[in-house]
Amino acid sequence: MTIQVQNVTKRFGTFEALNGVNLDIQPGELVALLGPSGSGKTTLLRVIAGLEQPDSGRILFNGEDTTDTRVQEREVGFVFQHYALFRHMSIFENVAFGLRVRPRATRPPEAEIKRRVMELLKLVQLDWLADRYPHQLSGGQRQRIALARALAIEPKVLLLDEPFGALDAKVRKELRRWLRRLHDEINLTSVFVTHDQEEALEVADRVVVVNHGRIEQVGTPEEIYDHPATPFVYQFIGNVNLFEGRVHNGVAHISSGEIHAPEHLDVADAPATAYVRPHEIDIANGPDPDTVAATLNHTTKLGAMVRLELARRDNGALVEVELPRERFDHLNMATGNVVYFRPRRARVFLAADRGTQVA
Amino acid sequence: MAAIYPPSPVPAAVVRTRSARKSIKWIPILLVGIALFYLALFLFVPLAAVFFEAFKKGAGFYWDAIREPDAWSAVKLTLLAAAIAVPLNLIFGVAAAWAIAKFDFRFKSVLITLIDLPFSVSPVISGLIYVLIFGLQGWVGPWLHEHDIKIIFAVPGIVLATIFVTFPFVARELIPLMQAQGREEEEAAAVLGASGWQTLWYVTLPNVKWGLLYGVILCNARAMGEFGAVSVVSGHIRGATNTLPLHVEILYNEYAFAAAFACASLLAFLALITLAIKSVVEARQHKEHRK
Repeated sequence: MTIQVQNVTKRFGTFEALNGVNLDIQPGELVALLGPSGSGKTTLLRVIAGLEQPDSGRILFNGEDTTDTRVQEREVGFVFQHYALFRHMSIFENVAFGLRVRPRATRPPEAEIKRRVMELLKLVQLDWLADRYPHQLSGGQRQRIALARALAIEPKVLLLDEPFGALDAKVRKELRRWLRRLHDEINLTSVFVTHDQEEALEVADRVVVVNHGRIEQVGTPEEIYDHPATPFVYQFIGNVNLFEGRVHNGVAHISSGEIHAPEHLDVADAPATAYVRPHEIDIANGPDPDTVAATLNHTTKLGAMVRLELARRDNGALVEVELPRERFDHLNMATGNVVYFRPRRARVFLAADRGTQVA
Repeated sequence: MAAIYPPSPVPAAVVRTRSARKSIKWIPILLVGIALFYLALFLFVPLAAVFFEAFKKGAGFYWDAIREPDAWSAVKLTLLAAAIAVPLNLIFGVAAAWAIAKFDFRFKSVLITLIDLPFSVSPVISGLIYVLIFGLQGWVGPWLHEHDIKIIFAVPGIVLATIFVTFPFVARELIPLMQAQGREEEEAAAVLGASGWQTLWYVTLPNVKWGLLYGVILCNARAMGEFGAVSVVSGHIRGATNTLPLHVEILYNEYAFAAAFACASLLAFLALITLAIKSVVEARQHKEHRK
């Protein structure tokens, strides 16, 4: 089923949670809404679910306007961050709830409810817990039960709010791989909210980066990581170094260094910032017109990579560099040495463009 | 710390610890002693006195005092007032708590203040308000008189006054509990297709059942023991508009001390039973909370 979000705006008092959001989600996709806290990603998910009413704009399921459809009739599966299992009901009853509350005409017979619930509990590999109560389960188990409960009503879409947010790191990794496999198996259009970029990039087919109630970029994990569309996405996804400078006819000047910025050929002179990932910086053998002098502060060896912390000689700003171990050994540097670094690849954003779409 | 000071046979820090430990020993004894003395003076002694005075003239006299028709009618009226007031306030309390804890609307704080009103107004004033509204000199009194409807100095007035003074109990007990539980389970139920009634019945109420029972117990205790408000609207007609607390007062004023204490002991019994149920409920509630 397709989900279309059209020009949705939502305010809470004076706080603008969503500001004219447009988004199309294709059938069978697994989409991540990624953003810092307060960016509006959870509000967007709740608006899609029908738990919040947008102030303006529309939500379409399969091209049909569902903006005014009540949450009870929207047929969405929703998994809450803190599971929201019914604490006084057994696991079996939790999963059966969505079937039991149906009007008599559409309610399946008892035997059918039992069969469906046990099938779902097997799907989440927890059928042996049917008679337990939520408080007797671990966080990861509760989350899987919450998912089984959401699937029991055979929803058209599955919405998950920070599904792994409250779990410890190890369980989290296992569960998100499991969620990815489960999605490939049942192929249900799914949207999940997360503030963890690693989670979004690993699990989702497409990532939607949200900030200040607006969508910054929509793309596959590769697109988002390799070609960030805005300075915000650059900074939010992965580590990045910022070099302030000016652009002259397609060349960005940062202190003594120069970076080619062919996308700004027509800019005569403007303040700009170059965004460079740590692994896109190389250490030169000696001073060159396109290098910047810096002091080596600190090195950290991370397996096959070495992370260097440099302090620029001209303004003291810290620069993070990641070198392959071999390259580092070859350079033969020691802490306190003066080194010359050269950005191999950079993305230059004009100061005037910051915060808007440049791609 | 000790190293800074010049060496001395007993380091200063050790001395301080020892005196602190000594003071710790007698402080709890003193505090517990004060608490027990206070409890004995103001609770246990009066309670014992009630039963002592009640049985002073023997068990036979005690039974006669309770079975006496006016006393019996007072018991029945007290039970009737509670039987009407408690269910009504149960429904109102659940509705008010559900609205306040699970929904956002304007003037919510006004509603919360209004619920507290009977706590902040003197019961005598509450009774007086009903007299001013329904009494012969009141707003609707003359109209009621014309249609031969009696509210003041009659059973309806007593029931109304009892409802008024007891209506915060259930709501006050449920609101913080429901607020602490949040709205996620209700939202989950809604997404799964449950209607408002189904959500209330299958999700919200089971989660607050012990708190609800606790509120009902307190409400009932107050409904049966209420004196001030009921006294103003009752008119003290023996065998007709006397509740148990009012009957005790009349007997006492007539110097029928033993009979007064016999009836008072019924209320004391009620208090003790309430206390027992209350502690059971509290224990269950505590257990549920730890889950």
